[in-house]
Amino acid sequence: MPHKCTQCGREFTDGSTVILKGCPSCGGKKFLYVKSQDIHKDVLEEKTIGQIAEETKQQFLEIKEEKSRKVSSEEHARPRKIEIYDRIESITVVNPGTYELNIEKLAESDELVVRMGSDDKYLVDIHSMGTSKKKKSDRSKK
Amino acid sequence: MNLFIRTKKRLSRFLSAFMKKRQSRIGIYGPPNAGKTTLSNRIVRDWTGDALGPVSEIPHETRRARRKEGITISNQNGSSLTIDIVDTPGVTTKIDYQEFVEYGIEKDEAIKRAREATEGVAEAMHWLREDIDGVIYMLDATLDPFTQVNIMLVGIIESRNLPVMIVANKIDLPDAAPQRIVKAFPQHPVIAISGLEGDNVEALYEKMLEVFG
Repeated sequence: MPHKCTQCGREFTDGSTVILKGCPSCGGKKFLYVKSQDIHKDVLEEKTIGQIAEETKQQFLEIKEEKSRKVSSEEHARPRKIEIYDRIESITVVNPGTYELNIEKLAESDELVVRMGSDDKYLVDIHSMGTSKKKKSDRSKK
Repeated sequence: MNLFIRTKKRLSRFLSAFMKKRQSRIGIYGPPNAGKTTLSNRIVRDWTGDALGPVSEIPHETRRARRKEGITISNQNGSSLTIDIVDTPGVTTKIDYQEFVEYGIEKDEAIKRAREATEGVAEAMHWLREDIDGVIYMLDATLDPFTQVNIMLVGIIESRNLPVMIVANKIDLPDAAPQRIVKAFPQHPVIAISGLEGDNVEALYEKMLEVFG
């Protein structure tokens, strides 16, 4: 059965190990087991996840932080790292000759968004977006 | 992608439409240094006598996808399969030129190599999306298969519903543990081989006939 974050409602597949570090979207530490057929119930029936928990009588799964982590306030001060799946860029040029690749984005399309360095400067390759659309229309004509 | 390749691709698409039969295109994917080119060379050499590309211990030796068309694999029972083999650049999430410098490559050359390797990953993913009909996923059996790249890439291949088989390579090395790979990907057939020594490649060909045939 999949999990849902009680704070932001993000869904996780069964057996997902990502949640062990807390929700990657909001940092929430509480998760609820939700039957796969009820996964969108909170949105469809405008219920809070708490209400669903009461209905299904499932227990919350709470991730406990490690003690060492609690002690270091530095950890909390540091901005939360954005998960690789949430990134918009397909390639990050960290330095000339050092690259980070978002293979999920690259697998989706040829459209290139390149992030330059760590200071959130982006290059959007409009050419790559233009050609792929053209190709698609070519194919649909056939 | 340059104009030449694009034209060539269009031409081959046109020809294949003409002949109405297109061979299955099998992509060999995996992380860098798993032995993709070594295996491609072996397959191509075993069935056509040719070779596909150079091999080295430095990661990202293959930075452009290479293709060999019309390889016919057969067994003693008379089954046969004609495929195109595509050897792809190693897929990774991080490429750092320092890694090449450590192998004794000059800084400028290393930076160039890193850029080419990055393009190579993008190209490999492009092929996966457009032109590949089946995947041989190569893993180095001496390494832990549970990496972000492997899980993500196998997931991407599964989401495209492509037939896939996993090859646990380098079983000639003493610390190879192909069982770890079998446990990691129980949903797919796993064949343990040594691409370099040729151990168990017969079983690989047999499995290829079964999976891609």
